[in-house]
Amino acid sequence: MQLLLVGISHRTAPVDLRERIDFQARGIADALRALADRGSAREAVVVSTCNRAELYVACDEAAATRQDLVRFVSDFNGVPAIDVAPHVYDVTDLDVARHLFRVAAGLDSLVMGEPQILGQVKDAHVSATEAHTAGPVLNRLFHASFAVGKRVRTETGLGSGAVSVSFAAVALARKIFGDLSGRSVAVIGAGEMGKLTALHMKSHALKRITIVSRTMAHAARTAEAIGGASAAPWEELDAVLGSSDIVISATGAASPILTKAHIESVMRPRRNRPLFIIDIAMPRDVEAAAGEIEQVFLYNIDDLQATVRENLARRASEVARAEAIVNEEVEKFGSWFRSRGAIPTVVALRERFETIRRTELERLDFKLSSLPPEARARVDEVTHLIVEKLLLTPTEQLKALGDTETVGAYAEALRRLFALSDQPANEHTEGEADGKAGRVQPFRRPSGGPR
Amino acid sequence: MNTVPLALYVAALVAYGWHFAQRTATLGRSATTLLVAAALSHTFFIGMQTMAIGHVPVAGATSAISTFVWLLALSYLYIEMTTDERAMGVFIMPLLVALQAIPAFRPGVEDRAAVLQGPLFGVHVSSLLFAYASFALACVIGITYVLLFKEIKAKHLGFFYARLPSLTVLDRMNQRAIVIGWIFLTIGIIVGGIWAAQARGGYGAGDPRVQAMSLEDPKIFVALVCWIVYSFELFAARRIGWGGRRAAYLSALGFLIVLFNFVPISYFFSKSHNF
Repeated sequence: MQLLLVGISHRTAPVDLRERIDFQARGIADALRALADRGSAREAVVVSTCNRAELYVACDEAAATRQDLVRFVSDFNGVPAIDVAPHVYDVTDLDVARHLFRVAAGLDSLVMGEPQILGQVKDAHVSATEAHTAGPVLNRLFHASFAVGKRVRTETGLGSGAVSVSFAAVALARKIFGDLSGRSVAVIGAGEMGKLTALHMKSHALKRITIVSRTMAHAARTAEAIGGASAAPWEELDAVLGSSDIVISATGAASPILTKAHIESVMRPRRNRPLFIIDIAMPRDVEAAAGEIEQVFLYNIDDLQATVRENLARRASEVARAEAIVNEEVEKFGSWFRSRGAIPTVVALRERFETIRRTELERLDFKLSSLPPEARARVDEVTHLIVEKLLLTPTEQLKALGDTETVGAYAEALRRLFALSDQPANEHTEGEADGKAGRVQPFRRPSGGPR
Repeated sequence: MNTVPLALYVAALVAYGWHFAQRTATLGRSATTLLVAAALSHTFFIGMQTMAIGHVPVAGATSAISTFVWLLALSYLYIEMTTDERAMGVFIMPLLVALQAIPAFRPGVEDRAAVLQGPLFGVHVSSLLFAYASFALACVIGITYVLLFKEIKAKHLGFFYARLPSLTVLDRMNQRAIVIGWIFLTIGIIVGGIWAAQARGGYGAGDPRVQAMSLEDPKIFVALVCWIVYSFELFAARRIGWGGRRAAYLSALGFLIVLFNFVPISYFFSKSHNF
């Protein structure tokens, strides 16, 4: 069994190609079914987001399956193979694990450390589980990737800090006020920028959003567009400022509309309750000196962009720690994955022992037939236990073997010693390979009871 | 034996510092566990002393410091568990360690002077120790407020920005700690005054220390200065908008005075409180 990944992402394919290869839009379930019908892969999970389309499969022969998967990507999306092929990347075995772990951690994302991708990877696995295309290998792989995502989130700063201006504004507001519910927001100016920022704030259960504009009709229209906001005429600006906690200023005025003296006069009746002013106008609406007032926190668009840049830089500095976690988890997954190489031998060995046990019991059947049924059941049980005990240590030792070569040598030795067939284990045993592969079945007599 | 709580406080200090830098949940939990262990061993230690001498050891300056450390550790643990906020620990632990070093290296309990008796004496000491623990917390919260305030004002959102709760929450916690501390400080001072008046006329009449209990004694004078500072802080926060950073500075100043009164004055200057 080999692991194989075939995919395209924002690193290899231009956006117009990514738009055309969209499993999400065409239906993940259909894609999984179509993929299963082709029969080239034993297990499959499709991860599809706007930045990547990736097929994770477990298969017998990676080279052949790779060809088929590229054809599948092109067939299913109706994109000529010649367009797809140059942008496709593929990796096998533990590199698949490394790739998926980096994806789940947000290390492969366009915005480093973004949190959505982990949810998307989880969704992809759920779809595959529902479509019954995820088996023991991919289940193990994907569960390990969720653990990596979680560890990177909690143990590194890779996902910390806002990386867009509006998120940075909200994050700052929360650092000043704590919970934003019950806080009031004033938006000065009825333009698009102010509206967008207010919309972004709205999801935080604010008490009130008030739009103030020189033209009352514009203010009313913007308030309506935001929904749940109210409009106030320009004359009430001071009253609105006095009762607000957060001010978003975004007018098209050529000179500052809020001077330091003006804001000082507003702060006095507020008894120094904090006021967070976000000046996203260009040119600026608020005199820079207003930021010197105690309990006034003034950020303009450049300041917010600077914090975003700082956050991005900080995320980049966390990459090494996140990569270390990925390496550690690849190592863990690798030892499990390699130990699976021993499974066909374990299964063959157990089948061999079980056959001997059954044959001997059949042979002695006429001697045992004089015993009462309970005694016969005991004999069955005891022989079964002896076989289990004999096999316990060799099985554990085989599974604990680290590298593929040693596993191969041991398998070869066992095959010779016990004259095992060269044929690997049956298909059905793969399904329950995890831990209890090829468990010896208790001997059951044909129905009819003792003769 | 008396160094066990100190050793555990030191371990907790290291763990809180490490957790503050790394911010992993496991480190945070181990830090709390170490502090709980320290507080438990300290409880046991104070309990043993109480059994040995037959009363809670709070009369002498050294035992009072030990009890104060114990109360502060418990108050901090209470705040941590109710707010689920561990960032303050790294600021509290150095104080615990520094103060606990005094009783750890001055083992034994001072003999209780015969005059120190009656329920009022117990109320006096325990309310003041609890008030001081609250002020210590307020001071630490105030310091963190100022650190965060400066980062936000300077538009350089870095170390503390990522680790501390919001300014509003810090301000609210600071105010609450000051209110609680002020109430116990007031009770402690009033009850102390009543006790002194009773003692002077009765069982303490012949003790020079009881006779020295007046405003001229540095310990009593500085305690009143503390009361004035904290009363002003409460008044200013409510009436003239001196919340936030000014309140934070005042809490730091107030606790500096408390510490000064608690350690050097107790040991070297006070004529009335050197039991």
